[in-house]
Amino acid sequence: MADKETILVTGATGFIGGWLVETLYLNGSAEVRAGIRSWSSAARLARFPLEIVFCNVLDKEQITQAMAGATVVIHCATGLRDVIVQGTKNMLEIALKLGGKRFVHLSTTEVYGNVSGEIDEKAPYQYTGSEYGDAKIEAEKLCWQFYEKDLPITVLRPSIVYGPFSKDWVIRLAHRLQSGNWGIFEGYGEGICNLVHVADVVSGILLAIRHKRAVGEVFNLNGPEMITWNQYFQRFNAALGLPELKVINPSGSRLRAAILQPVKASARFVLNHLDSPLKKAYERFREARAIMQFAEKSIKATATSTELNLYNRKAVYLTSKAREMLGYHPSFNVDAGLQMSAGWLNHLGLVN
Amino acid sequence: MLNTERRAVKPTISAKGPPRIAIIGCGAVAELLYLPALAKHPPVLRNLILVDRNKVRAQKLAEKFKMSNCLVDYRDVLSKGVDGVIIATPSHLHYPMAMDFLASGVHVLCEKPLAESADQAREMVEQAQKTGVALLTNYQRRLYASYLKVKELLTDGTLGEPLSIQYFEGEEFRWPTVSGFYFNTKISSRGVLLDRGAHVLDLICWWLGEKPKLISSQNDSFGGREAVAHVQFEHKECVGKVKLSLLGKFPCVFIVKCEQGVIEGDVFDFRSVILTTRSGRKKRLKLKSKEKYYTDFGYTMVTNFLNVISKGEKPLVSGADVLDSVEWIDECYKAASRFNMPWYEIPEMRNGR
Repeated sequence: MADKETILVTGATGFIGGWLVETLYLNGSAEVRAGIRSWSSAARLARFPLEIVFCNVLDKEQITQAMAGATVVIHCATGLRDVIVQGTKNMLEIALKLGGKRFVHLSTTEVYGNVSGEIDEKAPYQYTGSEYGDAKIEAEKLCWQFYEKDLPITVLRPSIVYGPFSKDWVIRLAHRLQSGNWGIFEGYGEGICNLVHVADVVSGILLAIRHKRAVGEVFNLNGPEMITWNQYFQRFNAALGLPELKVINPSGSRLRAAILQPVKASARFVLNHLDSPLKKAYERFREARAIMQFAEKSIKATATSTELNLYNRKAVYLTSKAREMLGYHPSFNVDAGLQMSAGWLNHLGLVN
Repeated sequence: MLNTERRAVKPTISAKGPPRIAIIGCGAVAELLYLPALAKHPPVLRNLILVDRNKVRAQKLAEKFKMSNCLVDYRDVLSKGVDGVIIATPSHLHYPMAMDFLASGVHVLCEKPLAESADQAREMVEQAQKTGVALLTNYQRRLYASYLKVKELLTDGTLGEPLSIQYFEGEEFRWPTVSGFYFNTKISSRGVLLDRGAHVLDLICWWLGEKPKLISSQNDSFGGREAVAHVQFEHKECVGKVKLSLLGKFPCVFIVKCEQGVIEGDVFDFRSVILTTRSGRKKRLKLKSKEKYYTDFGYTMVTNFLNVISKGEKPLVSGADVLDSVEWIDECYKAASRFNMPWYEIPEMRNGR
């Protein structure tokens, strides 16, 4: 990588985008430009005096302004289908139009679908009906179309990314473990977890932009240690210093997941509509607040059907290609990563 | 020497009729708090002037609240003969704008924090005294029944002397900021302690009757605006701790332990507190409050401001009232060290800063 490149990171208020921007700022090797969609989640980024630009990936004008002068674009922004597919298309079109951009697209191992066994980058795409995985396949296909038009692209597929600031695999899981309603899923948690620490993913991204040979290639980014989901729950539980986990009946879990699916959808509707009468009641009455908080906790502490399927998936995403071509060397073993995550949760007061 | 006594100012309204007011800054707080409050005073709203650098934004709010007077430059307000202004701009602009109005004999209601530094705040208070106008500030938590109860119990000595005060407030930032100034590191490097801390440290000074002694101040700033801040303090026999965060939700509570009992509550439940007596008996006290929703406090503040101008009513919270906490926040920033955060010590992050 040339000295002091200007790197635009989309989705900079997100988990991976945030880590990437912080790393680039702290190591000082490049001028980093943090692309955000709105101010509302910028509290984390604003702790660093870095350049923040608006880059809603559905707004071509914003993208054009944000990308002007950048030599590297790392596309971490994600969201619903439209953001993933149309947003990536917009980014690619403008990168091609402006020229001179190295483009790294953050994808996911979810593009392989419900597979088992050892999975390398040659494995085919598999649509599963999941909005996220299927949209990511579409976005990758767009990347390859633009690679054919000479846009220098690398696609990276991280697996289960955890570490400080992870909402899915650290904060939510810690709350679930703490609730006392989480446990070892007999028969459903023996799939491989494929944990990779976010710092290792960031190192993979930096390697990808440093190596010219990464252009036109796709790489899995996974961690150094393969454990099952049940082992993950147990080890994280221990890192948090919580009482031993109980074994959860698989048929009961299935049933609860099926029952709570529609309840979750309606709760999301209420929480997303600030003017709703329920939201008003939440503000005004302490009792309403207590009931809704209890309901919210119970819902959150129950696995969804999609999650149970994931916990059962026996696939290992291989990183030999990234190791050989880029020198990728994930360094965080699970215990070190979980200790750090637990320390971070404690620091922010997010666990008791 | 500054006169910090809260006092009524002589009503300065020249012509008969409702006070003529301008709102400077048309961001989220103007839209969600001040304009709905002024809408309950139709004669005032009719003559209200809205000012914002972004004309489209000002016009949008004018249309929403069915009014028409909009200006782009706040200095133009000075020639319009207004009696009072509500300053609702980003916090780094409070001082220069308020000084201009106060020096011109215009009453000011300033959004919190009153100013970004103690020197600025003191100058503002002095200027208001010099010109004989009122300087009010929207530290509305002083009006919450829950915090008034704490003040009452500490003042009348029912619970004896305070032994410890803890105040924890952690929520992800959700305020629908329009300008995003909270996160603009080019205009200020002060974050959650200046924003949420303005309320919290002010309450503590108010409860104790003066500024406590700072023991330690830590935050997570890397040169930008901190999102997490911890402060430890002491005052006579009382020790205290404040934890503020914009990075995640934790139980938002205050606990005041005294010689004869404990008073505690939910930071956002302004209508009740839990009182534990020395015998260990716990009781939730339901408190009377004419405000039902948070936005109602905006109405109370604005109505007081209008009455200060037109009837010589005493300000509910004056600039002088909050000087202690503005000074304390300054001290906290000057003494602050960064937390030990091992997640920022990994090899890829080393090199530079």
